[in-house]
Amino acid sequence: MKTATAAPPGGAPATAPRRVRRHLPTSPWLFLAPGLLAVTAFSLAPFLLTVGNSFTDNRTLVPGGFVGLANFRELLHDEMFWTGLRNSALYVLVTVPLLVLLPLLLAVLVQRHIPGITFFRAAFYTPVVASVVVVGLIWSWLLDDRGLVNGILEALGAGPVGFLSDPWLLLLSAMLLTVWKGLGYYMIVYLAALTNVPRELHEAAAVDGAGAVRRFVTVTVPALRNTMVLVAALSSVSAFKVFSEVYLLAGENGGPAGEDITLVQLVQQVGTGLNGRVGYASALSVVVFVVTLGLMLLVLRANRKEDA
Amino acid sequence: MRKFRIAALALVGVLAFSACTVGTQNVDTTSAEGEIRGTITFQTWSLRAAYRDYFEKLIDDFEKKYPGTHVKWIDQPAEGYADKISADAAGGTLPDVVNVSPDLAAPLAKAHLALDLDRAAPQYRDEYLPAAWKSSRIPGMKGTYAFPWYLNTGPLFYNKKLFAQAGLDPDDPPRTYDELFRDALTMAKRSKGRIATLASVPTIEDFGRYGVRLMNKSGTAFTFDEPKGVELLRRYKKLYQAGALDRQAFTSTPEQAGRKFMQQSVAMNPGSALDLDKFKKDAPSLYKNIGITDAPNNTGSPNMYVQGLMVNAAGDNKATAVAFAHFVTNAENQMAFAHETTVFPSTKGALDTEYFTRQDGTDKTRVRIASAKSLDTAVNYTPVLLSEDMKTALQNAVTRALRGDESPEKALKRAAEECNRLLRLG
Repeated sequence: MKTATAAPPGGAPATAPRRVRRHLPTSPWLFLAPGLLAVTAFSLAPFLLTVGNSFTDNRTLVPGGFVGLANFRELLHDEMFWTGLRNSALYVLVTVPLLVLLPLLLAVLVQRHIPGITFFRAAFYTPVVASVVVVGLIWSWLLDDRGLVNGILEALGAGPVGFLSDPWLLLLSAMLLTVWKGLGYYMIVYLAALTNVPRELHEAAAVDGAGAVRRFVTVTVPALRNTMVLVAALSSVSAFKVFSEVYLLAGENGGPAGEDITLVQLVQQVGTGLNGRVGYASALSVVVFVVTLGLMLLVLRANRKEDA
Repeated sequence: MRKFRIAALALVGVLAFSACTVGTQNVDTTSAEGEIRGTITFQTWSLRAAYRDYFEKLIDDFEKKYPGTHVKWIDQPAEGYADKISADAAGGTLPDVVNVSPDLAAPLAKAHLALDLDRAAPQYRDEYLPAAWKSSRIPGMKGTYAFPWYLNTGPLFYNKKLFAQAGLDPDDPPRTYDELFRDALTMAKRSKGRIATLASVPTIEDFGRYGVRLMNKSGTAFTFDEPKGVELLRRYKKLYQAGALDRQAFTSTPEQAGRKFMQQSVAMNPGSALDLDKFKKDAPSLYKNIGITDAPNNTGSPNMYVQGLMVNAAGDNKATAVAFAHFVTNAENQMAFAHETTVFPSTKGALDTEYFTRQDGTDKTRVRIASAKSLDTAVNYTPVLLSEDMKTALQNAVTRALRGDESPEKALKRAAEECNRLLRLG
């Protein structure tokens, strides 16, 4: 009653707070409902279904039964699983450092206000908006035995390089494609963060005699540490779940004899088609989820340690 | 404790939820009784772009013949066709009449989604070539699960100019594997490794045409790892080492292999009658030098590709679907379709008609008559039970053997074991 009778500072009607309080318990849920429904239907339910399926031997067209941990035991002895895990881990190890550092350098470069810089900003961002399928096809033409890159190499006397036939070069080519395509996106993230770095810090460092490199290492990098952690987390999750780039360059088998297959491509290979092993593919998906979650936690923990 | 109970309850719920898949065990796959009325859906496999008019007329004719019927025609692209069928079948939205190859019909039949025509429509059996009718029989199951539709042997195209440049007779392409390997090595040697003869690794059809026994008689185990299969891989390995097999053959899709053939960096490539138009339009200099032959084989029996029409056993209008599938595949309509493109009818007597026997001096007719004649002895080498994941296992083994990562014996043995394991899984 006190709140109802007390006059608010602005002289607003005294009955307003009571009305608001009465609606509080349900109103937020009503606002949240559409989003919650969408998340439940398209994320939570499929996730739970996948977890459940991983304990069954369900196939695409033939319902199976509960098999306990059999699928998880099987994947421990599956050569392709270990190849997929190796390739996905390598993808993270190679692309994440590049995607944390290169876009930062690019952002620092294009942050300057010089004539024509907007062209470069747009140019660096273009691969992000290009379709990955189109970009993948263009790269496969460029890297073909008789493509432009090998044509130049041959003209220089280097001979054709098996970018699309050697398993390691194929994987490396896919990684470079991922990095090239992701540079622009993370560059924009860094550009936004760079605007928050106080100009005074740079000026003070310059007065103390610090050069451009020194200012980058001692001012820019520490100021952007949280953004770098965010970029590391985002890029490591997407690198571990890579599919399109490898699929487009290495083919549906995942390279020669499946040597370049990644875990997500293996899930697709095993779980789809008329004879798809939905149960086993779900077990693989659960492993991908657990490892991805682990990667996120690792990055966040590393950040917390540095904070402490 | 409360948290543990909630977690346990959630797990039970998840497991129960995951068990809720659409069961098809109670579907009647043996009869299609009822009135020929109502709406059905008909799905073709990448045919709309080239044959729209033919199919629209066909559907009109059927609807006129059976008043009260309506056929909805949908066409799916070639790429990902099996995945599309798989998604429809799992989601309970499989069309009533579906264009399938025998290896696609097999899993659908096993899932009780394909109508057994031996029991539901035996009256039509005698209209078709016996071998074509049997092509959709599944080892270990009784019944026939698709109406036979059109047949094809699939021509092998070769570049006469590249043959001549390598000192080979452009009018005498290789007809056996011995000749193929000899010519391919010559081509690689004389072009100093610049021109490969082939752009794809051997597939199960190559094993069949080479004379390798692919499965045991009862269809319970794969046998392609027998010594003849090992011999084939050894010989392909020599091709690869000599540069007679394109270096990217291990990862090439049929489209990529076709592109290399059009770029004239590869001398031979399998294809279909539709490719001729593509060469004419996109690669006129290749078209001028194009040669057409049959794929080499050591058995005397070329490979035969069979297309069929499966009737969805879980459909609502099975009688209409059976009537339509028969209408599309009857002698008259198959012959009309054969006039549209170079395919061959699977109905009795069709291949003895003038259209497939009388020469008129054109290349097109010469190819048609030669292919029709070869169908007398043709065999569908792709085992009906060879699924996509088994094909992947075989291709990986072939790659390992050709690259020298494993001996051909070991690679094939492992592939056969893997295929047999997948076969046992069902």
